[in-house]
Amino acid sequence: MREWVAKHRWEAILIVILAITIVVNVALSPFYLGVGNFINLFWLSIEKIIVVIVMTFVIINGEIDLSVASVMGFSAAVLATLHLGGEVPFGIAIVIALAAGALAGLIQGFLVGRVGLPSLVVTLAGLIGFRGAARVLLEDRSIGDFPEWFDRLGQHPLVGPIPLALFVFFAGLAVAWVTLERGALGREVYVTGDSADVGRYSGIEVGGLKLRLLVTSGLVAGLAGVMFAARLGSVRGSLGEFFELDIITMVLLGGVSIFGGSGSMLGVVLAIFTVLNIRNGLGLANVDGIVQTGVIGLLLIGSVLIPNLAQRFGSRRVALEAVAHGPS
Amino acid sequence: MTEVRSVMEIQGVHKRFDATQALSDVSLEVVSGEVHAIVGENGAGKSTLIKIMTGIFSADQGTMTIDGEVYAPRGAAEAQRSGVAAIYQEPSVFPDLSVAENIYIGHQDRTWLVDRPSMIRDAEKILATLDIDINPRLPAAGLTVAGQQAVEIAKAISLDVRVLIMDEPTAALSAHEVDRLLRQVRKLKESGVAVLFITHRLEEVFAISDRISVFRDGRRISTRSTSEVTVESLVKEMVGRDPADFFAREDHPTGEVVLRVESLGRDGVFSDISFELHRGEVLGFAGLVGSGRTDIALALFGVAPADTGTVMLEGTSIDIRTPKEALHRGIAYLSEDRRRLGLSMPQSVTANVTLATLDRYRKRFGLLDRAKEREDAASLSERLGIRTPTLATPVSHLSGGNQQKTMLAKWLNARPKVLILDEPTRGIDVGSKADVHRYVDELARSGIAIILISSDLPEVIAVSDRVAVLREGNLMGIYSRSDATQERIMARAVGTS
Amino acid sequence: MNREATFALDRRGSSWLRPERVKELTLLGIIGVSVILFGFAVDGYLSGRFFNRVTTSVVIVAILAAGQALVIITRNIDLSVGSVVGVAAYLTGDFLATNTTIGAAGAIGVAMVVGAILGAVNGLLVAYGGVPAIIVTLGTLAIFRTLLALYSGGANITAASLPDWVLGFNQVTVFTVGGFEIRLVFVIAILVVLILQWAMSKLRWGRRLYAIGSNPEAARQAGLPARRLVFFAFVGSGTLAGLAGFMFLARAGTISATAGAGLELESVAAAVVGGVSILGGSGTIVGALLGAVLIDTLKLSLVRVPEVSEFWRDAFLGVLILAAVLLDTWLQRRFTRRWSAEARRAEGHLTAGTGQIRPVLDGGSSDA
Repeated sequence: MREWVAKHRWEAILIVILAITIVVNVALSPFYLGVGNFINLFWLSIEKIIVVIVMTFVIINGEIDLSVASVMGFSAAVLATLHLGGEVPFGIAIVIALAAGALAGLIQGFLVGRVGLPSLVVTLAGLIGFRGAARVLLEDRSIGDFPEWFDRLGQHPLVGPIPLALFVFFAGLAVAWVTLERGALGREVYVTGDSADVGRYSGIEVGGLKLRLLVTSGLVAGLAGVMFAARLGSVRGSLGEFFELDIITMVLLGGVSIFGGSGSMLGVVLAIFTVLNIRNGLGLANVDGIVQTGVIGLLLIGSVLIPNLAQRFGSRRVALEAVAHGPS
Repeated sequence: MTEVRSVMEIQGVHKRFDATQALSDVSLEVVSGEVHAIVGENGAGKSTLIKIMTGIFSADQGTMTIDGEVYAPRGAAEAQRSGVAAIYQEPSVFPDLSVAENIYIGHQDRTWLVDRPSMIRDAEKILATLDIDINPRLPAAGLTVAGQQAVEIAKAISLDVRVLIMDEPTAALSAHEVDRLLRQVRKLKESGVAVLFITHRLEEVFAISDRISVFRDGRRISTRSTSEVTVESLVKEMVGRDPADFFAREDHPTGEVVLRVESLGRDGVFSDISFELHRGEVLGFAGLVGSGRTDIALALFGVAPADTGTVMLEGTSIDIRTPKEALHRGIAYLSEDRRRLGLSMPQSVTANVTLATLDRYRKRFGLLDRAKEREDAASLSERLGIRTPTLATPVSHLSGGNQQKTMLAKWLNARPKVLILDEPTRGIDVGSKADVHRYVDELARSGIAIILISSDLPEVIAVSDRVAVLREGNLMGIYSRSDATQERIMARAVGTS
Repeated sequence: MNREATFALDRRGSSWLRPERVKELTLLGIIGVSVILFGFAVDGYLSGRFFNRVTTSVVIVAILAAGQALVIITRNIDLSVGSVVGVAAYLTGDFLATNTTIGAAGAIGVAMVVGAILGAVNGLLVAYGGVPAIIVTLGTLAIFRTLLALYSGGANITAASLPDWVLGFNQVTVFTVGGFEIRLVFVIAILVVLILQWAMSKLRWGRRLYAIGSNPEAARQAGLPARRLVFFAFVGSGTLAGLAGFMFLARAGTISATAGAGLELESVAAAVVGGVSILGGSGTIVGALLGAVLIDTLKLSLVRVPEVSEFWRDAFLGVLILAAVLLDTWLQRRFTRRWSAEARRAEGHLTAGTGQIRPVLDGGSSDA
């Protein structure tokens, strides 16, 4: 136990925060402890947290994808445009929308993995550009009136009280978890995230790996966009706008280093639960959405700052060792 | 002749990190106009001492004085103001700034306003006194390691340092560049600077120092005048055991040709390189840094492929464009830069050992066979004598020698036909060095063909069956063991014959 | 080769022709060419009115981009500037509603102080708290906005509550050449950029900011006060965001709790297009200004091309950023290659004369 805590300090901190959040929520709201509320808690942010899973891989690999929310909007806009055109069966339109997300990822992945540009800039361009592309497609229209089965899948439970989206999330999470921590791909993601050169000299195709990750990120963002369209029942050019900040916040709050090379899926999952529960609790307590965001912001900074300060004042040796070994 | 007198005195310094006593009761006198060499195995406490002297650590106990006044710096800036500066193995220049700015950026005495013309004039003057012909207006981005080191020395001079600490400044330099560096050090000494010179290369110690202090296990064992010391006695003091344990390789027969390289060339880097490598053979690559040794290795390993020539592996022509292909074909390359290119520091020993061969552990759905990983890592770690608490320990926690062995284990696990070792003993202590030499011999005996790149001439000659000498990207000749004398190789490497 | 001759050559070659300068000239060229092209495509485009519109509209992003450049050069990033603009605009408006007599200088002072305080919060957390800038400013992006929402309680600052001069501030003209009005806000922005540019290239702390971004580890070893400098870079960025906040107030008149959202990305985009390397250590303030001008010119021009829907704007901007970064990378690689060639020539020229090699340790450790 002690050993686990020593090795997983971050996760331990998150568990404590999560526990406090749950206790406070239970105390504050009688509605909190209900199956309906629990499903709602996930359902209302399901598109974001699906993207969080793939973003974890990207950031551990030492890159970042700022474009995810715009790609969500872009894919959804492609879907809506094809639907409006009416020439393509809706099922095919979904496939094309997903492909559009993957293509967005491919373009950015090529520039990062093959040309060697920094992902921060490439995906910043993507953030602006793909949002622009969504606006080009939809202008200021709102397009809805999707097939009934599509709306139903997005807006109604599939099995018992559980909607399809939750199955997608948990299935994706399981696959991602195992891949990251038990799979060869995960090992490569960690190693090249810590040092691309070490990866390359060990026979890992670093550029290709980054390319694949960004394509996956685009594809998953596309999926999230389509799912969001289904849940909302209509699409605007602004769909998903500013989601990237929440998504990245959850990954970083999960203890993933912004410099790559470290972090765990457990931490990210705990961060997801924590953020969702705080938002849910504050929501039940009628606190404004913008204030909820501020609380998450505080948590994000605090979760890095407090261990830093504790280290500086608590144990000088560790801090000195950090100095001796340079920034890592 | 400058006046020789004590500048800095260190008395009874202790430093403890958790369970490790890094320094115990260390006293040292630093004298102006003298080069004082500090030698010792890794972990002897040299680095800790430097860090205390430059204010990065503070001592638990003991005092330091400069000119009789208490000296207790709280950081590099304060140390610099007191006239103490350090130059490290990896020079730390600012690539985006000009050379002149690199020299003057840390100066505390300059005004708010940067007077560029006068700064450039001053820089030119200092560079000229050191015989360094570098344009001070150029950004440092273009400098070689040796050039960067020169800039660091110029920086130290510009600071009017009184105590200059050089921590392994020659580790990344060619013999030729070392020569130039040592001349610069002599100039510093003549101008009255006290130089503390830390190195693993004993030949440099004898070439440059006036006095030698030996450190072992956090203690200063001895300080003697260089003229009173012999190599044998020094080594004995460093390791605390007899140098007779050191490795000397015996001749043994080698097998058929494994690798045949013909007219290999890469534009502007090396050209017309041809050689054969036999099963069970150790082929040494001697030459100055920049002679193309590492570049040829990188071409064979696919990092920077050659543009002309052919490579035949066991009779088949191969064209390797990436390290992945090289590994697949059975060519492995142990890099000279452990930290940046060799090991994934936060990862466990096991993960590092299996890193180059992940495909072998891939089960269904891309999952890793972790039991098999552990098994292989355990057997290799036992075979190489890697000292680590557990195999799950991150390699960053291991000592330099054990990290080096872990890196070797990683490449052995790839079961290569051809293994290229680039400076496998750089920066590790004498004991680990001998271990590495023994493994190289063992590996060759087991049938692996080895290319050994090393700047340590005695090492190349002792361990190799044949020695290839390179100069400015050309192969100057290949010598059999009996013909390979240090004089001959050096002469070919620098081009005097 | 003669030593003097080498230097004479370099003085022209390497010192003057820097990647920054090539980038700046390229940007100027692109701005010029696009203005001419739009001039052909759009009737009545090349008018004083259009000039006035661009110069007035660009000031906010230009000032933010200058502050952003300051931070990015130190290998950090400030994602909170949009929120700082909102807070500064709101608080200044709020202050003006009750203190109507403080005048323009006073109001600008208030806005800049608010910005400086918020910037200091960022700076403290990054420089002294050891939290990566992207995490800090991602957090304060939300937190500052939240504090503003709590403070405002949902009430907006309205134009009616402001003194009249505030809304006219953007139109104040210093002098007029033909139809081209040189507005006060534009003059302020240009002054800010020029002063900052001068400081970054001539003052010691300016050069040290570059040093920190160029190699943080070396900066520490050289004993540079890296923490203090990074702190002040953030204070500078915050102060400039405060100034931009006042201009935002003057332009919009109505300020809600979401005022200025999205400006953080626009400022980063302008700096990057202007050639400021996201990896720190290189780029100029003038470059950031030119980046802002280029983006704004294209935005405002595209709207006037009837064949292009206004919705193309952002898609186009995305491509522009990529093009700028590609150009940057290419230039950097070319120059580095040239520099190493020159350095090698110099070092080789020196070594050609020295033949004597120190005897390597005889016998030696490994044979004994």
